[in-house]
Amino acid sequence: MTLTILYGFTIGAILYFISIGLSLTFGTMRVINFAHTLTYCIGVYMLITFISLFKGNFFPSAILAILAVIPISYLIERFIIRRLYGESLDYTFIATFAITLIGVDSIKWIWGVNPLPLSDPIGTQLNLWDFTFPVYRVLIVTIAIVLFFALELFFKKTIVGKIVVAALEDKDGVRCLGVKVERHFLIVFILGSALAGLGGVLYAPISSVHPYMGLGILLLCFAVVIVGGMGNLRGTFVSAFSLGMVMAITARYWSQGAEVMVFIVMAVVLMFRPIDI
Amino acid sequence: MFAVKHLDVAYGHALVLHDVSFNVRKGQMAFFIGRNGAGKTTLLKTIMGLMKPRKGSITYQGKEVSGVPPEELYAQGLRYVAQEKKVFGNLTVKENIEIAAYASGEPLDRALEKMTAIYPKLTNFMKLKAGQLSGGQRQILLVGRALVGAPKLLLIDEPTQGLAAVVIEDIATILKNLKDQVSAVIVEQNLAIVKELADCVFILKEGKIAREIVEKTEIADTKGLEEYL
Amino acid sequence: MFKKEETLKPGTDPGPLITAEEFSHPKSRLAGYDFLIIAGAFLLLATIFSTHRVTDFMIFCIFAMSFDLIYGYMGRLSFGHLLFLGTGAYSSGLFIKYFHGNPLLAMLVGIVAAALLGMLVGAIVVRATGACFALMNLAFNSIGFFLVLSPLRGITNGEDGFGIHALSVGFFNPASKISMFLFVLFFLLLVFYLLKRLTSSPYGIMIRSIKEDEIRVKFLGYNTYFYKWLTFVIAASLAGLAGTLTALNYKYVNPNVMDVHGNVGVVFACLIGGAGRLYGSIVGGVVYMLISNFLPIYIHRWEMFLGISLLIIVFKFRKGIWGYIQEMEEVRKRQKVVPEIAGKGVAQR
Repeated sequence: MTLTILYGFTIGAILYFISIGLSLTFGTMRVINFAHTLTYCIGVYMLITFISLFKGNFFPSAILAILAVIPISYLIERFIIRRLYGESLDYTFIATFAITLIGVDSIKWIWGVNPLPLSDPIGTQLNLWDFTFPVYRVLIVTIAIVLFFALELFFKKTIVGKIVVAALEDKDGVRCLGVKVERHFLIVFILGSALAGLGGVLYAPISSVHPYMGLGILLLCFAVVIVGGMGNLRGTFVSAFSLGMVMAITARYWSQGAEVMVFIVMAVVLMFRPIDI
Repeated sequence: MFAVKHLDVAYGHALVLHDVSFNVRKGQMAFFIGRNGAGKTTLLKTIMGLMKPRKGSITYQGKEVSGVPPEELYAQGLRYVAQEKKVFGNLTVKENIEIAAYASGEPLDRALEKMTAIYPKLTNFMKLKAGQLSGGQRQILLVGRALVGAPKLLLIDEPTQGLAAVVIEDIATILKNLKDQVSAVIVEQNLAIVKELADCVFILKEGKIAREIVEKTEIADTKGLEEYL
Repeated sequence: MFKKEETLKPGTDPGPLITAEEFSHPKSRLAGYDFLIIAGAFLLLATIFSTHRVTDFMIFCIFAMSFDLIYGYMGRLSFGHLLFLGTGAYSSGLFIKYFHGNPLLAMLVGIVAAALLGMLVGAIVVRATGACFALMNLAFNSIGFFLVLSPLRGITNGEDGFGIHALSVGFFNPASKISMFLFVLFFLLLVFYLLKRLTSSPYGIMIRSIKEDEIRVKFLGYNTYFYKWLTFVIAASLAGLAGTLTALNYKYVNPNVMDVHGNVGVVFACLIGGAGRLYGSIVGGVVYMLISNFLPIYIHRWEMFLGISLLIIVFKFRKGIWGYIQEMEEVRKRQKVVPEIAGKGVAQR
């Protein structure tokens, strides 16, 4: 059972990494980015390439992979997301889904269709009180917690963070004070995409790697963001871990029901707290 | 210094402003009065670049600025205070001013000094979240924010709306002290303020300028102006 | 309704959502030749591609039309419409498997099942708008998919699905490809007819008005919730119909008929063809079917190609193929009529 809880936290942490970007993009730009998990996916493939280049060194490869994701997310924001400000949902959906199609196909072109294997980079176990914990998973959860505090600091102490907080509340007000809000949103978008890449890179060793992996997790991230509140980072933190736990516990008793349970929770939340788009 | 010529602004299919033209000279305070829905807010929003006009031109210091985004207009000296009295509620008062100072290039201490000079009582609220301020305090914060840097043309939408008499006086004093230093286009329903501060009054009716009043005596005739509200 | 170039002087009343003129002579008047055109087009397609393939196309078009009722006419995007197609497929399939092989009865069962589910889901979902609506439908679709995959595995045979052997009834012989083709064509025309009548009736105008400005319609005293719910149920039933035809056509049902990812296709189809117009759904449906069936054969990187094309459509050709055609039509018509309007029209406003 404790292992289940750890798994729950692990999934929660990964969902958190990815959902931050989704939530922020929605909160700032009011755009629902269905291509968000593309950087998650690309990050993983980049990781694999770098690992083979660096002969198995996981952590430097991971960092490089995340950095590699940045220019791609810049291009996506600059040429497509920016044009979707104020757009209706269906066009946003099609446009961002189109990005996914292009992205996934590019991945297939470069890396091929077949799933690629990747193993646990630490591989050791921790022995505490009678239980054995895979260290790697503990590491993931730790990183998530550290990230949470880092983000809190970022939004409270840096001027960029404060501008984003202000813009989330009153975008026009910020613009009328001369601040180039779009540029700051770009920073936020890239940050979100890099974090999604981080999520991908950390999760890859304990999941399967294939070109469509982004799509699978995207829907779950939507659920996280909806339950946590769009643009609400603290809420996202709580809902990510809660839903991760829901998944882990459901999976234990009802193996294929994990994802569906998340959607049920999402539907229930939507019934009682409909979102306004 | 600032001119609007034959401006047409529409929301979708409905034309809200039609063939609006007026001038503001340097240091002048022009007031717009009119019934609700006449288009006054739309006018200010369009000048500040938050809306695009369908037709017409807006010139500022000799340059065409219609359709220019608000960030750029700010750099040129335009300042906008919206009707909704929205502050950055999740940030403190000090942080609100910090953001105002950020783009203007003015050092934060100077901006804070300016703010406290205008409204000394605000020093007590610096650490408070702006969302916790009262309506009057918010309005003063908004005006203060707008005055950071080197403002040249103020666009203010109903500064005294819904405020207590004491606060209205404070605002009137602030604006009076600015007279001749900055130009302004102000929308108001409070005719006492209009009487005290206006150099000229424009009456906006159903999207068109019905009259321009320049005579001091006529501006002072509050009863007469009331008809247009 | 306003044309783009006209604007109102400030202070004037914007007028009714729909003029008396348009009410009595709706653009979408049904003409006999509509049937001939559609039937002819599909028969033509059947000579180029196989009958079996084109039957597939037609079923998808029926599904697209049902989807467009919610998307184009009511203005709500759903990511879970496939739930109802799947329900129709499974209900009719299971009926044939466990009760009786009569395809017509099975179809009835399938449609009713989809309708009932539509009533239930609709009651919950129809209050929402935008992304909320889309994602709630997605949630229900996922739940449905999961149900047929896992807990109901005993009946549905889970991932593997099950085969169907329907009996012949009258002229209809499910085993014959040509018979199947004509059968589906019949339903395509029937659905087209029904929707055409529906959308040009006062009910249809109500729905479009709700899409345009729901608050106004509410102020007029109408219970918009009921109309939205009704539309949802009709759309669900028609999707169920498409589902039963799917089951009969493939003679096989498996969870893929309810796969959430399949919803993407129908959204594309309606967008490519033109949302809110019946011909648009059909055109879009065919185009999408052609793309997804044949593009991969000729262009290796078809997903990339599709992605790029979609971006171009979204940023340049909003109205879709059919919408574009209609716009050209209108421009042509207006060029003929301008001299008349110059005298009358402006004065009326």
